[in-house]
Amino acid sequence: MMNMRLVRRDTPLAGGQVRAFVVGLLIALLFGAVLLILSGHSPITVYSKMFDSALGSPRGWSATLTRAVPLGLAGLAVAVAGSMGMWNIGAEGQIIAGAIGGAWIARIAPELPGPVLIPAMLGAAVLGGAFLALGPALARSRLGVNEIITTLMLNEVAIRVVRYLVNGPWKDPEGNNFPIAPELPEQSALPTLFERANVGVLIAAVVVIGFGLWASRSAWGYELKIAGSSEKTAEYVGISMRAKLFTVLVLSGAIAGLAGGIELTGSSSRLVEGVANGYGFTGIIVAALALMRPSGVAAVAVALGAVQIGGEAIQTQGVPSATSNILQALILFGALTAAVFSEYRLVRSAAVPSGAAA
Amino acid sequence: MNQETLIGLFISVIEFGTLLYLAALGETIAEKSGVLNLGVEGMMAMGGMTAFWVGVETGNPWMALLAAMIVAALFSMIHGVAAVVMGADQVVSGLALTILGLGLAAFLGEDLVSKRPEARFESVNLGPLSDIPWLGETLFSMSALSWLAVVLGVVAWLVLTRTRAGLALRAVGESAATADAAGTSVVKIRLIAVAIGGALAGASGAHLTLALAPGWSEGTTAGRGWIAVALVIFGAWQPGRVLVGSLLFGGLIALEPRLQTFGVEVSPILLSMLPYLLTIGVLILLSVRSRNRPSVAPAAIGIAYRREER
Repeated sequence: MMNMRLVRRDTPLAGGQVRAFVVGLLIALLFGAVLLILSGHSPITVYSKMFDSALGSPRGWSATLTRAVPLGLAGLAVAVAGSMGMWNIGAEGQIIAGAIGGAWIARIAPELPGPVLIPAMLGAAVLGGAFLALGPALARSRLGVNEIITTLMLNEVAIRVVRYLVNGPWKDPEGNNFPIAPELPEQSALPTLFERANVGVLIAAVVVIGFGLWASRSAWGYELKIAGSSEKTAEYVGISMRAKLFTVLVLSGAIAGLAGGIELTGSSSRLVEGVANGYGFTGIIVAALALMRPSGVAAVAVALGAVQIGGEAIQTQGVPSATSNILQALILFGALTAAVFSEYRLVRSAAVPSGAAA
Repeated sequence: MNQETLIGLFISVIEFGTLLYLAALGETIAEKSGVLNLGVEGMMAMGGMTAFWVGVETGNPWMALLAAMIVAALFSMIHGVAAVVMGADQVVSGLALTILGLGLAAFLGEDLVSKRPEARFESVNLGPLSDIPWLGETLFSMSALSWLAVVLGVVAWLVLTRTRAGLALRAVGESAATADAAGTSVVKIRLIAVAIGGALAGASGAHLTLALAPGWSEGTTAGRGWIAVALVIFGAWQPGRVLVGSLLFGGLIALEPRLQTFGVEVSPILLSMLPYLLTIGVLILLSVRSRNRPSVAPAAIGIAYRREER
């Protein structure tokens, strides 16, 4: 390694990110196969079971798409912040805040009819997520405080708030002393779309596609593009960086909050501590793999949703559920490597072309 | 509140302080070289699983500690290769390292969950010193790992502030291009710093599964790795202040199960939020303060260095 170095290619290899994702997937499957063999499982049996249960039937697709909803919305949340060069590491906490907001509406107005209750719960979820992003957004835009750490810290705070609620004031008196909130009113469940999928899939699709169109077509989106790429240009044409940083981070939190609301009303019957289930962290992988583009976010969310659903199905065969987390992280590392090699090539130091070496 | 409960509390403060300090010291060194590694939680899990495994197989805590440090250091090199050599985003790579480490530790440690610990770090008896009231039962009864943490902290401080190697490491973390021009290998120093960070996170994991709570189960790290990341900021990237912070945050963790004993009617869950909120507070203070003087954070943190883009 000491005698090798990376040199930028004159032109990046074509088809970069899709190819990088495929290479990442292959690397992940290969490493995963080694692990499975070492632990006494047949990779072919395990992988085909994963594929079948995630993508082999309408039922599998319904589960995969349902899982893609929180992953895609969290991924979009991260991507939105990323468009301004910010990292929202707090989607996990904002999902929790969203779920708390939704559950709170169901607590204070359980008698509302479904068509009123559901939008109210989702609206509260959006506000909940935005609320958790408010502090980091103010600190970043007013004081220049790095948002990576503040959003990261608030994850841990949000986890403890929901833990406190389901262990204390919101604990279900009929829950056999389990740390769970009471069951949500029946009419708060999102209507079913097909098999296990609910309307949340449509909502998420509209939000992701809608945001993609809005960002690429509207004046606001154009301002965002300028502000995200050059602070000086932005200030020259009269765009307030402060306002942009603030709005974008709060918007990012709101989108993650919506994911929490849909999880609550769609996939869960009550508020529990594990409502975010790591989706916020996976959302960062989603956004990174999608290179912060909304169109890519949707595709990657479905792909990782399939990995997760497949990973849950193989537990019945005695394969640890951790397998899907390992695969997801390896896909990312594989894709990072592949992406670097589509822009750079490895050369021996002696063969460095003049001009490339400083 | 009697003497016994107070001594129990102090012992617990030292134990949790050790856990946090080992990991936070490693992260301090990595960040000083300009590499943010959000993979602490994953490296800690890998170290903890390895230590418990080797402990069960060999019955020797020192072998277990060594294995944990080596495995975690090697594991940290995934982040090293991705973020330092290839210049991938440090935030993404570090988080993926946490996800990978938690997953791998759970996968590889599945058969360990039912095993009984065969090796542990017991408290070190310092003869007459350990007989002193109060101090003898707390400070002078620490486990070898707690002593190791203190020694490593002093060594890290001396190396960082008093040696050529330490200066090079800080230079790389402040301005990689300047250090490179001065003939320092940026990639090499950053890789070493990340590996040290990994080894110390591994030692922290070993302390968890060999001393603090002997045993292994998925999720045993319980987010302590994130506190370690917070501590680096809380301690303003200085080994000494990070130690004070570790004892403070360790104290908060130690208080959680004891609040009721002390007659405090606050939920321990709410208390457990304090380290994170305090860190946000410190971060805001630091940035308000740094308007008039240079920032205490390493300037090149989070920035990949590629020579031809200088």
